[in-house]
Amino acid sequence: MAQRLLLRRFLASVIPRKPPQSRWAPLTSGALQIPQGPPGGPAAAARSPAQTIHTSRACATTFNVQDGPDFQDRVVNSETPVVVDFHAQWCGPCKILGPRLEKAVAKQHGKVLMAKVDIDDHTDLAIEYEVSAVPTVLAIKNGDVVDKFVGIKDEDQLEAFLKKLIG
Amino acid sequence: MHQAALLGGLIQDASHYGWEVAHPIPHNWQKMAEAVQNHVKSLNWGHRVQLHDRKVKYFNIKASFVNEHTVRGLTKAGKETLLSAEHIVIATGGRPKYPVHVDGALEYGITSDDIFWLKESPGKTLVVGASYVALECAGFLSGVGLDTTVMMRSIPLRGFDQQMASLVTEHMASHGIEFLQGCTPLRVGRLLDGRLQVTWQEHASGKEDSGTFDTVLWAIGRVPETRGLNLEKAGVRINPDSQKIVVNAKEATSIPHIYAIGDVVEGRPELTPTAIMAGKLLARRLFGGSSALMEYDSVPTTVFTPLEYGCVGLSEEEAITRHGQEHVEVYHSHYKPLEFTVPAREAAQCYIKMVCLREPPQLVLGLHFLGPNAGEVTQGFALGIKCGASYEQIRRTVGIHPTCAEEVPRLHISKRSGLDPTVTGC
Repeated sequence: MAQRLLLRRFLASVIPRKPPQSRWAPLTSGALQIPQGPPGGPAAAARSPAQTIHTSRACATTFNVQDGPDFQDRVVNSETPVVVDFHAQWCGPCKILGPRLEKAVAKQHGKVLMAKVDIDDHTDLAIEYEVSAVPTVLAIKNGDVVDKFVGIKDEDQLEAFLKKLIG
Repeated sequence: MHQAALLGGLIQDASHYGWEVAHPIPHNWQKMAEAVQNHVKSLNWGHRVQLHDRKVKYFNIKASFVNEHTVRGLTKAGKETLLSAEHIVIATGGRPKYPVHVDGALEYGITSDDIFWLKESPGKTLVVGASYVALECAGFLSGVGLDTTVMMRSIPLRGFDQQMASLVTEHMASHGIEFLQGCTPLRVGRLLDGRLQVTWQEHASGKEDSGTFDTVLWAIGRVPETRGLNLEKAGVRINPDSQKIVVNAKEATSIPHIYAIGDVVEGRPELTPTAIMAGKLLARRLFGGSSALMEYDSVPTTVFTPLEYGCVGLSEEEAITRHGQEHVEVYHSHYKPLEFTVPAREAAQCYIKMVCLREPPQLVLGLHFLGPNAGEVTQGFALGIKCGASYEQIRRTVGIHPTCAEEVPRLHISKRSGLDPTVTGC
């Protein structure tokens, strides 16, 4: 699996990439407007003073994956490590883990990002990453799956998981 | 949704047992629908995971035959995929039928495919049809408090024992479901307020009548999914009337390496469990060295109407056709489930009959059970009947008390005797 991810990352890097800011869709829980202009990556955008912050919780560190290419772009090819939360509408524990993980990720101030994948909307992607039960959280760094857990974790465990990923 | 409806009834009963339940209790369609939809999605996910675990390659594309060994599929994006195989199994099932000669049927009506995915309550509903799908849907819609009408052309539950079928509809009618028997819809139109107006004809008088509904649900039968398959390219023969695929006892079509199972097949019960078992046995014959064929007789099933009807084996009329009235003995009994006594529920339609051969040891040909938990009751007895149980053996099975199922081994009044089957003391 790691080899396949490496190959995909190599192929993706050959194709010119759009800068991340212009492709970020507005979040459901927050309405932080991301400026189109100077680059800087996710951390800079989150701290931009020019925009009104409607909610502060998830900010720009959490996003919903739109499709396969989007996952490739924002997760596999991300320079920042990403935790991927595979979840489903019908999964009770997912509704507890999701917000808890978002909060933990937000506390890391952009050192790690969180991608949310609804497995009913993106079944092929979930199957490809060997997800069977939900919630499944993968830690992806430089395109590789470096860590993983299934089921609910408490706040301390999540913080340790993220700290280990950030390194 | 049947369970949701049953719970409504149980909540009513609960107050008789001392529960201080506030009346009336409203029902939230959205909450129920979401729960059902989530469950279905979780099942679909489970299937994908299992296929993946068993290394089955899954292609989400619509396919058709190119020739007898090759299948062609087109993705939504228009990309073509060709697959060739040594063995091919067709299990495309069926889809609900829309009436062709009724104006507005397609535009304004829905089918059972849609009812579980409605975000809003269907409101006052007209169910057209007399199949188990029609009656089950009408049953749970009424059970969650919706004004429900069933329109049928002729008899309910065609193919099932007709005495049992009328007891089923009698129970539904006594619980507030309106029945329009001997009627056929003519057209459906939308009124200014958005509701639907249905016009129909009553056969007996030839008179036309109409009514206003929020939803019209067509449950008039199903068509097999064979049209888009290009079966002629493979040489697979279908029955021209039913459009279903013709197979032999090995599930093989007119082409030896192409098989078909499930609802798409001619002359098979349209039941999921039989299709699953036929598929498993086929796989074992092809790759497991087995020669076991699927047995389609004595398949138990249950109709999940408000009062459930479970059956296995022959209907009374089938038994008489096959063996002659003089060679058939039918034992029957009305009974009252214990759980109906305290809340004073009507049990007039709670009824069981066992159709047997008259000659000793009186082989049981069919069992018909109308009452709560009919599926659970019938499943156990199906084993006995499949093993060739006799009336004598069933009589010698000690009952479990207090249950409804124990009324089966207690059956002792025959139709032939003319004795009253409502009196069932020891």
